[in-house]
Amino acid sequence: MRVVIGEDQALMREGLALLIEQDGSEVVGRAADAPDLLRKVGAHRPDLVVADIRMPPRNADDGLRAALQIRAEHPEVAVLLLSQHVQRSYATELVEQGTVGVGYLLKQRVADVASFTADLRRIAAGGCVLDPEVVATMMARPRRDDLLDRLTPRQLEVLALMAEGRSNVAIAERLTLTTKAVARHVSHVYDTLNLELAEEDHRRVLAVVRYLSR
Amino acid sequence: MRFEDQARSVRRAARMWLRPGDTVIAPAIAELAAFALLLAGIEVVLLADGPLASIWQIFLFPGVGLLYVGAGLFAWTRRPGNAMGALIVAGGFVWLAAGLVNTGLSALIAVGLLVATVPLAVVVHLLHAFPSGRLRGRASRITVAVAYFVVLVLQAPDYLFDQGEAGPTTVLQIADNHDIGRVGHWVQDAVGLAVMVATAAILGGRLRRTEPGRRRVLAPLTGYGILAVLFVPVSAIVVKAWFPEASLELAVAQLAVMAGIPVAFVAAGLSGGFARTEDVQELGALLSAEEGRPALRAALREVLGDPSLDLLFRVADPPRYVGRDGAEVELPAPGSDRSVAEVRLGGRLVGAIVYDATLVADRGLVDDAARVTALAIDHDRLTADLLASRESLRISRARLLEAGDAERRRIARDLHDGLQTRLVLLAMLAGRSGAGDDTAAELSAGLQEAITELRELVQGVVPATLTERGLYAAAEELTDRMPVPVAIEFDQGGGGLPLGVETAGYFVVSEAFSNAVKHSGAEEMRLSIGRRNGSLRIEVVDDGIGGARLGNGLRGLADRVDALSGELTIVSPPGGGTRILVEVPCG
Repeated sequence: MRVVIGEDQALMREGLALLIEQDGSEVVGRAADAPDLLRKVGAHRPDLVVADIRMPPRNADDGLRAALQIRAEHPEVAVLLLSQHVQRSYATELVEQGTVGVGYLLKQRVADVASFTADLRRIAAGGCVLDPEVVATMMARPRRDDLLDRLTPRQLEVLALMAEGRSNVAIAERLTLTTKAVARHVSHVYDTLNLELAEEDHRRVLAVVRYLSR
Repeated sequence: MRFEDQARSVRRAARMWLRPGDTVIAPAIAELAAFALLLAGIEVVLLADGPLASIWQIFLFPGVGLLYVGAGLFAWTRRPGNAMGALIVAGGFVWLAAGLVNTGLSALIAVGLLVATVPLAVVVHLLHAFPSGRLRGRASRITVAVAYFVVLVLQAPDYLFDQGEAGPTTVLQIADNHDIGRVGHWVQDAVGLAVMVATAAILGGRLRRTEPGRRRVLAPLTGYGILAVLFVPVSAIVVKAWFPEASLELAVAQLAVMAGIPVAFVAAGLSGGFARTEDVQELGALLSAEEGRPALRAALREVLGDPSLDLLFRVADPPRYVGRDGAEVELPAPGSDRSVAEVRLGGRLVGAIVYDATLVADRGLVDDAARVTALAIDHDRLTADLLASRESLRISRARLLEAGDAERRRIARDLHDGLQTRLVLLAMLAGRSGAGDDTAAELSAGLQEAITELRELVQGVVPATLTERGLYAAAEELTDRMPVPVAIEFDQGGGGLPLGVETAGYFVVSEAFSNAVKHSGAEEMRLSIGRRNGSLRIEVVDDGIGGARLGNGLRGLADRVDALSGELTIVSPPGGGTRILVEVPCG
């Protein structure tokens, strides 16, 4: 797997590179600001881009804007955005533009090396990964006539994992259920929330996020 | 100029009759009107007996003369301190005199011949003197003087030597020398044309320097005046050459064009916002009135007839001029159309009157007004001084807040870039170094908690979203963390907001929210943010128990808003919900 990193803090950038290389992938470009990132992605056409949301030159959401541009210009390049904090609108903007090969994680998830590298591979393989905390924020939003009230705690857990981009198999593994039981929960969630049916996991994410952002 | 001296003495006479508060036309004005009517009546009778007794000839000159006198008197009553009215009235009498040329009496014909073309010079004079009634600048004074020279002196060959082919011999004629007459005509036309070119140049230059609002009034008036003056001699030449039998039609056309002049000037004077003025002496009466005492500036504006007049106050520490609201004001640059009259009380500078020199020509009048009002100005100055120090206090508070905000942002950035990154890397290291080791797992978990805590701390100092995406996104993020639904109405037009306003706006929303959550028991809320009339407008409404007061949280918020010259309104009747409205100027 060939990776380009966009991160302005040198320590973090090198830490990420080390982690990715130890996982057996190749870091083909390291950028310290958004224009540099765009240039290197254009030159190397990597499988995956890992970028910080806040980056020079404006030190605002330059990383996110660069990511959206990369998604538009090179749909085949997967993108993982890292952020110091969670912001619901970043996640919705990202998935609204396409749910194949995108991810949005808190920066501190890097510390859990095994699950982080697993997430990297899922994203590069076309999966969609959203940080549990973003999903928790979305689920906790108060709304009128909340259909979530009609779900059981177990179904809420399933819904959260669906929003994170997990497949039925992964959900079953996480909750120690049978995949059949998970499939039942999923279909109940679909019925309750009146979601449009989507077979692929990444399309399922979009439906769920749309509901949660209403 | 002669006319002005005349006008001034008439004005002095008129003033004796004018009493403050007079609403009827002053006797002097009425007498002038009666006198003009009498003269016109006599002239009509004389003309009826004259050689050219057509109905046109009889009524045209007296009619135009009366039109001038009437329009001039109207302007005069509206603005006693302005010489335009007197000038137009004088023009009317000249017209009446010029009309005498068609009577049958040789002495009167002589008078008519002498002043035959003077009305043209009067129009030139009016053009140069508008709107104050006084001539401004050397160029104007010389041009008008030459204009009078052309119509009074250069007219001489015409009546001394040449009565034309058909004209009867008059008392003034000393020889019948057609050649001298022709040369005289030629010289008069050339110099007259030069006067009009100079007039066009001077007024054109003035128009360019005039503010656009008044230019709309001045431009057509100037154009009409110049064309009217040119029309008279040019049309005479054209008619003489090609339509010799149309001399009556020519006279009617010329008089009609000239008759429009006084009406145009008076209309322009009134539409240009030149309101009725009062006498300076009335200032005292106006200001000493027990009730209904007008604001000082309004009184000065009325008396001096300058609606753009401004009153500045002198304050110390540092010495500067401030307006009524205490905000510092720069004096206009010397050489501009705005003039400054200093106001002194016992030799001490207490203020300044800034006025439009093109409207108020008489500097002495402004100085008089300054003397009369010095005490009142000094009194108002103390208020302005107080406001000025309040204003500087506000500015220093705003600066302190701004410094505080900058410091907040710096701290947040340092924590975010430095400490947090280090902790993440340490956690990574801990996770890798001892996979499967209990102590290492504990260390990792502890570091993760520390990172989360630090993240929340940074969020409290300055929320990352505010830095990254601005007020609207940060406010939206706040609604996500509320326990009740918040309807959002954002109107994000109008470009970026100043940093200070954005930060203040964020704290307004956050404080209003936490106030509502803590005290109101609201079930639903509404947040609207938008820009209106150069202000950022934030409205937070809840359906809670109401009765909110300026407590600790809202107090700090009010201070912040106040430091930015903003306004905070809280409407919170018991049981009726709470509505917090904040408006902060944002350029």
